[in-house]
Amino acid sequence: MAASPSSAATERRGIPGAQFVEDVQTYLTQSGLDVSSALAFLQERLQQYKFVEMKLLAQQRDLQAKIPDIEKCLEIVATLEAKKNAGEALIADFEVSEGIYSRARVEDNDSVCLWLGANVMLEYSCEEATDLLQKNLQNAKASLEVLLTDLQFLRDQVTITQVTIARVYNWDVHQRRIRSTASASTDP
Amino acid sequence: MQQGAGSETVVTWEDQLNINRFSKLNNRFHEIEDDIKAEKERNENLEDASNELILTDEDVVRFQIGDVFAHVPREEVEDRIELMKEDTTKNLEKLEEEKESVLAQMSELKKVLYAKFKDSINLEED
Repeated sequence: MAASPSSAATERRGIPGAQFVEDVQTYLTQSGLDVSSALAFLQERLQQYKFVEMKLLAQQRDLQAKIPDIEKCLEIVATLEAKKNAGEALIADFEVSEGIYSRARVEDNDSVCLWLGANVMLEYSCEEATDLLQKNLQNAKASLEVLLTDLQFLRDQVTITQVTIARVYNWDVHQRRIRSTASASTDP
Repeated sequence: MQQGAGSETVVTWEDQLNINRFSKLNNRFHEIEDDIKAEKERNENLEDASNELILTDEDVVRFQIGDVFAHVPREEVEDRIELMKEDTTKNLEKLEEEKESVLAQMSELKKVLYAKFKDSINLEED
């Protein structure tokens, strides 16, 4: 059996849950709204949901770009470490300025410097750097998980609101039809 | 997604949950499609790279690690690319599997929802 609508219509991270309407007639009388103001209210809600969805999608894109970046960092640190353990130097072409490359020989490197942001760069041993990057990677993945759950919740609210709009609209059309057939039969 | 002819069909919470589920599955379906496309492209690029490696007569090639082009022996690059290809192939298989399961669930829901709402509901994309 499905959970009752009232228990599901809570909120998540400040996103209010959409109210499921059991019966349009009762909903309108209870909220004291006529059809057009009820529709206007629901449309506004829908717009708000869409706005939040856009924000969350932007965050999702950021995180999804960040994760491969961290993986790239881990890869180069691992390469440096492997080279050190093999007693070889890493020879690499690197960009000195846009489109200009020069050759570098990196040997006996026990450490790397990580740019921490806020104009701070810190020197780490390769092991420490790997640990830190791993932690960052896990954090980013965890945030992405949470974000995806938020998005799912939000999408449910969007769907509920869309369905409610369609139902209020259909109910109104139905009522009008009843009224017009009623008046047509009374005065032919 | 919803379009009605104004007929009255009672929509229960359970129906709403089914519609929600369908909507989320449909969304996931599109995400999977995008992922499959990206992964296929990656696979093709790797394929191109390994073909180029067969043609080249250099012993050391530039291989991008992080943001630099490391000088790596050709054999090692070949191995690395092989591993990357295995990775993308595995990913592709997983995505295809998920796509199948999503599609199956969607058609189940379609049956249920169309049985109840007939042509008052439209679950197709144009």
